[in-house]
Amino acid sequence: MIDFDVGEELELVARTAREFARAQLLSHAREAEAARGVAAGVAARFAETGFAELELPEAQGGAGQGALARALVNEELAAGDPGAALALDPLGPAAPVLAELGGEAALREFALPLLAQPGARAVLVRAADGSFCAEAGRLSGGVAWVPADRVDLLVVLASEQAWLVREGVCLAPLRGAGLRAAGASELRLEGAPLLASLGGPAAATRALGRARLHAASLLVGVLRAAADTAREYALGRVAFGRPIAHHQALAFLLVDMHAAVDSARLLLHEAAWRVDAGAPFEVQAAAAFVEAIEASTFVGPSAVQVLGGHGFMQDHLVEKHMREARALGLLFGGVDAAREDAGRALAACAPPLPLLEGEL
Amino acid sequence: VDLRIDAEGRARLERVRALGREQIRPLGLEADRLGRPVPPDHPYFELLLKLGLGRTRWRGGDAGKRRGGEPAGGLIGSRAALLLAEEQAYWDRGVATATPGPGLGEPPLLSMGSEEQKRRFLGPFLEPDRPRWASFAMTEPGAGSDVAAIRTRCVRDGDAWVLDGEKSFAANASRADWIVVWATVDPAQGRAGHRAFVVERGTPGLGDFKIERKMGLKAYESTSFTLRSCRVPAGNLLGGEGHYESRSGFKGAMKSFNATRPTIAAMAVGIGRAALDESLAFAREHALLGDPRVRDRLERSLRRLRAARLLCLRAAWLADLERPNMVEASMSKAVAPAVALEAASLGMEVLGAVGGRGDHLIEKLYRDVKAMDIVEGTGQIQRIVMARQLLGMPRD
Repeated sequence: MIDFDVGEELELVARTAREFARAQLLSHAREAEAARGVAAGVAARFAETGFAELELPEAQGGAGQGALARALVNEELAAGDPGAALALDPLGPAAPVLAELGGEAALREFALPLLAQPGARAVLVRAADGSFCAEAGRLSGGVAWVPADRVDLLVVLASEQAWLVREGVCLAPLRGAGLRAAGASELRLEGAPLLASLGGPAAATRALGRARLHAASLLVGVLRAAADTAREYALGRVAFGRPIAHHQALAFLLVDMHAAVDSARLLLHEAAWRVDAGAPFEVQAAAAFVEAIEASTFVGPSAVQVLGGHGFMQDHLVEKHMREARALGLLFGGVDAAREDAGRALAACAPPLPLLEGEL
Repeated sequence: VDLRIDAEGRARLERVRALGREQIRPLGLEADRLGRPVPPDHPYFELLLKLGLGRTRWRGGDAGKRRGGEPAGGLIGSRAALLLAEEQAYWDRGVATATPGPGLGEPPLLSMGSEEQKRRFLGPFLEPDRPRWASFAMTEPGAGSDVAAIRTRCVRDGDAWVLDGEKSFAANASRADWIVVWATVDPAQGRAGHRAFVVERGTPGLGDFKIERKMGLKAYESTSFTLRSCRVPAGNLLGGEGHYESRSGFKGAMKSFNATRPTIAAMAVGIGRAALDESLAFAREHALLGDPRVRDRLERSLRRLRAARLLCLRAAWLADLERPNMVEASMSKAVAPAVALEAASLGMEVLGAVGGRGDHLIEKLYRDVKAMDIVEGTGQIQRIVMARQLLGMPRD
């Protein structure tokens, strides 16, 4: 009956991720941004955490954890540096997506080899209608931006299936609006050889849901960091004789930011719990992504606002939070596609609508 | 994490749903049309008693233990109670508030009252012989959110206290067996001067009951009344004089508010859900669901209501674990009413001119739901509570 406790095991996982993010990511966030990548020492330490293998089955050397564990870890890592979180995780959203599309066999064949290559990146993109074309074992198409400077495995997620490509991926470096620690490139394929074509419509929908949860959890982490940074600054900065946090206009803004982060996190956790419980989760995942994105349009700019002129300067991280939260919300089809999917699912329902399903 | 509602909880919700469809919704619509509360002698209230409702949560002290346990209906946790309150509000929040029982008078009795006072005042609600109500009166014409500003005076006179003042917007007050009335020994003392009394029906000086005319939630009475040289026995001072020697008196009131905030917030979610269902039904019937602007409105309402409901449940879950929930309770109360109002407001847009006719449920829901951002601490007060907790904002 209604329990929000994540349990001791996941608490420990989250705490480990938090400590790693504080010690290794947060303090080097600007360096990683400038270098378009994380330092080798940080990557080595990340490998020790085992977070890259979090969701892999134990038989494949993973921790056998689920979507909620991933959500918790992603939030913590992204609270340190979301770009680094993407850069460090060789599989990223590709792990659950491959699992949905091809099960353990796909993970073994396509994901595991990446874990043995230092710095390897699997990159997932959602194919908007007409943006990719598969013909005679070759794939053509492109996307204007991916947060990566190298692609060791490309997963192109279309509505009916996913295409996998390992060779022939052309990348043109970009400046990037954010997440530069993960790199930034325009991606093009000109008849790249298809490695595999996986799944069907139902699996592709589930895979998209998992990808949205991945992005939503990174978003929640960035937004929490933005809200916390704004709070700490507002408690220390004095204006008109008191900490600015104690002026009601800013106090209300700060608590509303906090509530927006909590709302997004709760929808995320509900959807992740549904994944782990084996229940349908695609619509809830789409809604969680939309909620996190809408929260980002409020929390990100508000954090900069709280810091005033300092917020606009790059001495503080809030301007990075604002840019990167916006950028994360553009991944995997962004807010419009997610809203459309959630809205169409709702339109197919007859009232009364259950808000929480009593039985899964 | 587990967000399943257990089988017992689902069965309870099903019973409320049946009652809601057959009784609560029609009664609410009728009260709205007639512009007056459901009268106390309405057979619906007798029906509730037969269903085991309208009783106190109090177990009945030693007498209860001898009887072998809990009052009919059982003692249920905050989460289950919250879900039931939400479902009742889905059908009609006004009718839900008119439900017989000790209502908001119960929490201060439970937290501050002596055993003798609980027996005397909650005892009749253990197995009520007829529909009985109690009430709670803090608000005054000049003191709403700023409860420290109440002006109703209490002066000790022999074996009694004499109360003088005006109280506003007390639910079910004119039909109540007794009302918990807050007064002050000295307005200059602020909260430290507060005293809570159980003022019984028929006490000379208690009168001028005026049932207010409201924008919505017409099915229950919001009543103003006066106390004129109203002599209340000293034994009706909640907790006795010793209780007020520290500042715990005021904290008693605040504690009772805090326990109910997520539940009131969940009622807002219930009203919002009703608005969403009306909007969706209308959109289906009129083939509007192909329009992405309509779908986007419905999607937003559903998503925001789901998030609000999770905020409410989280606060109730913490309450059940007896863990501090001040921030979470206030957050749910700050967020849910605004979300529910938006659902009703977007619903008016989906229905268009039909919403403007004034004879569709969506329009009633739009009026009803506004109160939820005002009662039990406005959204602004909730933000102040959160700011004190999260930001250490000082009181002055």
